[in-house]
Amino acid sequence: MQFLIYRYDPQSGARPHMQAYDLAPGHGEHMLLDALIRLHEQDDSLAFRRSCREGVCGSDAMNINGRNGLACVTPLASLKEPVTLRPLPSFPVIRDLVVDMTRFFRHYHAIRPYVVDDDPPPERERLQTPAERAELDGLYECILCACCTGFCPSYWWNPERYLGPAALLQAMRFIADSRDHATGERLEFLDDAYRLFRCRSIMNCTEVCPKGLNPNRAIDRIRMRMLKHEV
Amino acid sequence: MNARSDAPRFLNLFQIRFPVGAICSIGHRVSGVILAAAVPLVVYALDRSLAGPQAYARLAAALATAAGKTAVVVLAWALAHHALAGIRHVLKDVDVGASLGTARRSAWLVLAVGGIIALATAVLVA
Repeated sequence: MQFLIYRYDPQSGARPHMQAYDLAPGHGEHMLLDALIRLHEQDDSLAFRRSCREGVCGSDAMNINGRNGLACVTPLASLKEPVTLRPLPSFPVIRDLVVDMTRFFRHYHAIRPYVVDDDPPPERERLQTPAERAELDGLYECILCACCTGFCPSYWWNPERYLGPAALLQAMRFIADSRDHATGERLEFLDDAYRLFRCRSIMNCTEVCPKGLNPNRAIDRIRMRMLKHEV
Repeated sequence: MNARSDAPRFLNLFQIRFPVGAICSIGHRVSGVILAAAVPLVVYALDRSLAGPQAYARLAAALATAAGKTAVVVLAWALAHHALAGIRHVLKDVDVGASLGTARRSAWLVLAVGGIIALATAVLVA
């Protein structure tokens, strides 16, 4: 298989360039990550992140033939050659396919990704009804891989002020949580022309989510909650 | 490890494969810019068309040129695409067509109907 991979070495001082590789996938090597690991055996200067290799950790997000995805859950058979791999669009590149996620996680922390409840802790768990728990479906599964945020044109042009689809989906996850007592504060924080309302419902986020989630729908739900909160 | 502030970023729009929703959205922007830029011209054309038979005839002659016809077709496309894409957004805001499959189909529909209206206008003014 032919591969074209974005290479950047900060120490060399050279500009990023595309490097061609040729590889015959071995027996049992079905996924793009398998091929990358084999390529790394050939050329140990090639840098990429990976950990769980099964779509749970979200480490190996990259731009694959022009669309963001996780290398570990992308079958080689689904890819046109040359398989072109680039880092997540708009993220600062540390080296090759490894990007700087600092700002992404800063936005994540800004939405306070934890249940806020200042009441004294109960003796047992804070219980939810099955219906309350079901409100979290489609939200809690996010693995923070940044495929969505790295494919969002609103984020490309406003990465400092717009929180991006991943952080907003997580924001909805805690707004929807029956155990959380900070819904009003959360909605007031998000009620901003950039933080939330820079979303233009392009739905690139939903197109590329490797977990099949719909961050755009989560953003719509926040807007609806905001409307109800203010009326 | 943080990247340096001068770290490169990959953001070449020609190397990104855009989904149909993104193409519909770019069309929404472009058509909006065209419509806004055309407002003074359209107001001027309306003024000329009401100024008397001679001014009306001159305007009709100007619109009958290749450039005039092209402008009419482009404006018809911009108006159709912008209005349809806007309706698509309004429906989505009230939770109609918010799933990925429906959003893809409605984006295709907006692109197709905008194109058909532009084509029909081209046939009419030809």
